[in-house]
Amino acid sequence: MRKFLLLAFRNVFRNRRRTVMTLLVVSGGMAGLLLVGGFFSFMFWGLRESTIRNGLGHLQIYSADYFRRDETHALDNGLDDYRHVAGLVTQNTHVRGVTARIEFYGMVSNGMKSAVFLGTGVDAAKEKSMGFEPRLTAGHYLDAGGTESNPALLGVGLARSMSAKVGDSLTLLSVTSDGALNGIDIDVAGIVTTGFKEMDDRLLTIPLPAAQRLLQSSRVTKLVVGLDKTENTDAVYAAILPKLAGSHQQFAVRKWIDLAGYYKQVRLMMSGIFVFLGVIVFFMVVMSSANTLMMAMFERTREIGTMLAMGTPRAWLVGLFLGEAVFTGILAAAFGVPVGTGLGALLNRSGVVLPPPPGSTAGMPLKVIPEPALMAGAAVLVLITLAVASLMPAVRASRLRIVEALSHV
Amino acid sequence: MEQLVSIEHVSKQYVLDHSSVTALDDVCLRIHRGEFLAIAGPSGSGKSTLLNLIGCIDSPSRGRVLMDGADTTALRPAASAALRREKIGFVFQTFNLIPVFTAAENVEYPLLLRRMAESERRRRVTEALASVGLTERARHRPDLLSGGERQRVAVARAIVHRPSLILADEPTANLDTHTATQLIDLMRSLNRKLGLTFLFSTHDQRLLDRSDRVVRLCDGKVVEDTGEQQVSHGQLSVAGV
Repeated sequence: MRKFLLLAFRNVFRNRRRTVMTLLVVSGGMAGLLLVGGFFSFMFWGLRESTIRNGLGHLQIYSADYFRRDETHALDNGLDDYRHVAGLVTQNTHVRGVTARIEFYGMVSNGMKSAVFLGTGVDAAKEKSMGFEPRLTAGHYLDAGGTESNPALLGVGLARSMSAKVGDSLTLLSVTSDGALNGIDIDVAGIVTTGFKEMDDRLLTIPLPAAQRLLQSSRVTKLVVGLDKTENTDAVYAAILPKLAGSHQQFAVRKWIDLAGYYKQVRLMMSGIFVFLGVIVFFMVVMSSANTLMMAMFERTREIGTMLAMGTPRAWLVGLFLGEAVFTGILAAAFGVPVGTGLGALLNRSGVVLPPPPGSTAGMPLKVIPEPALMAGAAVLVLITLAVASLMPAVRASRLRIVEALSHV
Repeated sequence: MEQLVSIEHVSKQYVLDHSSVTALDDVCLRIHRGEFLAIAGPSGSGKSTLLNLIGCIDSPSRGRVLMDGADTTALRPAASAALRREKIGFVFQTFNLIPVFTAAENVEYPLLLRRMAESERRRRVTEALASVGLTERARHRPDLLSGGERQRVAVARAIVHRPSLILADEPTANLDTHTATQLIDLMRSLNRKLGLTFLFSTHDQRLLDRSDRVVRLCDGKVVEDTGEQQVSHGQLSVAGV
């Protein structure tokens, strides 16, 4: 068996030029897959982290009723003793911070024109400390020491709609927790963007006390928990559930992945594209390698005839060709992984920025994350691909008629 | 003498498009253990076809080929391959060595097919290479060997597993006169010393002159057989006669 493996290995280098060409095709395809896969990983990572950092957080804690029934009035399903709950959660060492939020909606008016807004009441200092600040295009954040009595942040689209700029005053109208109409004046402290036009057209953020005053409630909608690492989400989730169980109010804790519908959709779609690309590369490599291996088989027809004449079992010949394909695959993987990784590193250094994706206002850097699992997967795919490519020449070689093979010129 | 191969009314026809060519026509022949037998005849007379049939790498259109009393034409492909592995050694006109193997590895190949233990393989390879005078060239690949050396490696490969019969198709055709003479001497000496049965097709008069027996073919028929009795003294002693 060892000698047969040796024979297969040496056969790989028999026609060096052709082997190099095969290796270039296969390792090139592999490097391409690694680059695309690495770029997709970066996109997934970027989308995940931006989804979390844009305010989703790693975990969100709600009243259990929030998911059971609709609210009749604002904050009907809100959290009562949210400061106590936040204190319990903060005890976990992986928790970087806990911030309370109120979600509400209403009308914003500049005296001439009104528009619908989707508002968020936030603890500005906490949000900032947890890195949840939105991207400012003008002005300053809520707690940046401005002179406004009721500072507010407006989405860039909403500000344009209201013809509002930093320092302008606007009026918010909303329905309180007991169903009455209430209003407060706000001063525009900053204009922000989320990168998504639909959000920017409706976004409005005010400090938590202002939102509670507007809604006439001491409750909050939810607590948002930020962790040191996204990878710790499951561990912290499992750790805080028992702590919350002893409280008088029932809670529902949601992980970021359960709340990130857009992220999941994008990931599913991009994974589909990646699989499609993989299938294309697979067929390209199969066709190209099968052609090369078939040529090798034809060139060695007389030798194969000799081996058969000496009594070599036909299955051994199939094994020989498979062995050659596997060795070629190992070499291709050995070249493809460093080439793909190296090209990825070059791209990462190049600073290339892609145009903004649909619905986004910011360009996306072209970065590639080296993924060990992807490398291993691509290497296995290459081995399988070459083994498949070798099947046809292997079977043809094993079925050669000995007399004809021996007289082959 | 003990009969090794018996060819009984063997015919072979090749079908080419709409016509058929008769390569062998009702050939009968008996080959005995230890013979040094030449098949002679002009091109197209059926020499190679006869060797192919005896070597179990082709099947006759009619008739039977018996080896050690067993009908080889009735064997399934796997059994036929097993018989070739065990009982037959091949020497080809163009040497047909595996180019990525060294001389020793080429000689070792038939033993690999028999799944022989490595120590035994090494011993037999050394012995076979020594018997063809190529001990010093064991680690050379075929492209570094001369034509004569390559053919001697092919002979060593053919004898290493101690087959009952060695078939050589025009073994001297690609060699110069001096080398061809050396190869003939080598095969003759292996025949005499080891009692190996050699059956070869040839045009080479020197080889015919050194043969115990010459079977001449013409248009697929045996036209002359110098006789089964003309066996060398060496063989007689090996056979214990």
